[in-house]
Amino acid sequence: MTPNDGPPRARVGQAITRRIARGLPAALLALALLGAWEAYVDIGSVSPIVLPAPHEVAAEIWNNAGLLSANLELTAQEVGLGVLLALLLGFMLGVLIHLSPLLRRAVYPLAVGSQAVPIALIGVLLVFWWGFGVLPKLFVIVLICFFPVVVTTVDGLASVDPDQLKLLRTLGASRWQALRFGELPAALPAALSGARIALAVGVIGAYIAETSTATSGPYAGLGHQINADINALQTPRAYAAAVVLFVFAIACFYTLALAERVLAPWANRPRGEIR
Amino acid sequence: MRAQSTARRAAASLLLTCICAAALSACGSKQDAVSAPATKPFTVMLDWFPNADHASLYTAIAHGYFSTVGLDVHPVVPTESAEPLKLLAAGKVDMAISYEPQLLLARDEGLKLVSIGALVQRPLTSIIALPSAHVHKVSDLAGKRVGTAGIAYQATELHTALRVAGVNPSSVTESDVGFNLVPAMLSGKVAATLGGYWNYEAIQLQQMHKNPVVIPIDHAGVPTYNELVLVVRAEEARTDGVDLRAFLQALTRGEQQVRANPAAAAALIVKANPSAEEKLQLASIEATLPATLPSEHSNPYGWQEPAAWATFGHWMFTQGLIHSDPNSAGLPPFTNEFLPGQGI
Repeated sequence: MTPNDGPPRARVGQAITRRIARGLPAALLALALLGAWEAYVDIGSVSPIVLPAPHEVAAEIWNNAGLLSANLELTAQEVGLGVLLALLLGFMLGVLIHLSPLLRRAVYPLAVGSQAVPIALIGVLLVFWWGFGVLPKLFVIVLICFFPVVVTTVDGLASVDPDQLKLLRTLGASRWQALRFGELPAALPAALSGARIALAVGVIGAYIAETSTATSGPYAGLGHQINADINALQTPRAYAAAVVLFVFAIACFYTLALAERVLAPWANRPRGEIR
Repeated sequence: MRAQSTARRAAASLLLTCICAAALSACGSKQDAVSAPATKPFTVMLDWFPNADHASLYTAIAHGYFSTVGLDVHPVVPTESAEPLKLLAAGKVDMAISYEPQLLLARDEGLKLVSIGALVQRPLTSIIALPSAHVHKVSDLAGKRVGTAGIAYQATELHTALRVAGVNPSSVTESDVGFNLVPAMLSGKVAATLGGYWNYEAIQLQQMHKNPVVIPIDHAGVPTYNELVLVVRAEEARTDGVDLRAFLQALTRGEQQVRANPAAAAALIVKANPSAEEKLQLASIEATLPATLPSEHSNPYGWQEPAAWATFGHWMFTQGLIHSDPNSAGLPPFTNEFLPGQGI
């Protein structure tokens, strides 16, 4: 008998309490940081053009809900589509690198190097190729996000229990079957971690994409808005847009974590647990 | 059974007829659209986020002046100031709004571009300081820190201004603050900035009751130039003159409309750039109006003064910003031939 056993209703109550207790540290830390920020600005240590107070930022979010949501919709589409493409590309590349030592030697250094490409440098080229729409932005997001997926997939595929592979071979499994029943399931948890990193990085990727490729139209995403606001000295509104991005990144991360738990519950099983 | 299949066949043939009819009518309507007076897509890359300097452009678009002359004008917003000329040279846009110094630099790099009109007659670039920095004239900058936007020719402008004021440029520390010129001054990190505009940053600071000291760069010893110019590919200037003339006619009507109703123009800027603040845009439009028309009133809107271009081009050459003097090599970097009433 463990302490968790008991009548069902009590168990639900306990679960809720536990959940609240789990969220408490994050909430307390956020509140403490906000308080420190508010106090720092309120004692007049800095001009609001340089750093606005949290209450000012909150008011800007409230007053510009329409503008922020129009831009968030665009940025969210870019992040969603860009990260999805990055996951597909990263996962496929990871598997190919795992299967072919030649490809590993050829592609891996370039994939690492790709993370050092200054996006501002290639922004004009991307616009030259694909115009002023969403395509150049998607490319930037994919370029920034595919890398963690490749690395985690390659490491995950290599982490398979050698005995399991030996067993599969003894049973006469083909290379494909070994991959399908041995390596891929072993790689899944790591690959999913890569996906979570990609999604979190994808949000700043969208900011970089929107501020390094030219656009048309008044609504061009939160990143574009932040730079336009900085230029117009609307610092509180730039912070408001940044807060929206911040919350969006957190929401993306936990939504994916939740989806993982529902869609691939075995991926989250702690190692060493008996089936 | 048989009756049922006949009915089904009849229904199918009816459906097919409907689809054909719909397809035919669609063809018809497409033909109608083609026969209507067509406008030609014309992409203009701005120099920066939509702001008061683009009032005539957005007003001409909103009033349909461009479509009247057969142009469907689309403005696009760049991410940095050198981008418009690159994409123009690459054939991605039809026109770029840029700066006279930037155009001379691009031509020096071999880009075949030419300016066909001036959006603003004189430099907007200024030395700006807050009263607390005790900078009232250029010579007060000696020994102080100046924030710049990280643009090489603007640093050279600062050096010329300092030398004219009798200050050794090496006694002044320059810091690249990117586009955070105003925050750098407000936070006291720099005594003054060079790169802000007298019709924008200076007005922002004024509206914040900061009473800035503003020294336009052409009042500090740098030869005058057209801050904003309309640039096209040299080849198009030779072959597509009709469109360019039409564009400038429509833009001139836009500028007249801005003069008649600056408030409406400010509202159009805010519509194009929701980050812009209407009060600031209106003040900026009103402050800029005297600088949009040439000093010689018989010259049209957009006029580029040949003598001023020659002097400024020579200054860039003597400062080592460009390798050859624009006055001595090839076709001039600008032409007035497409302005209303010119070149006929």
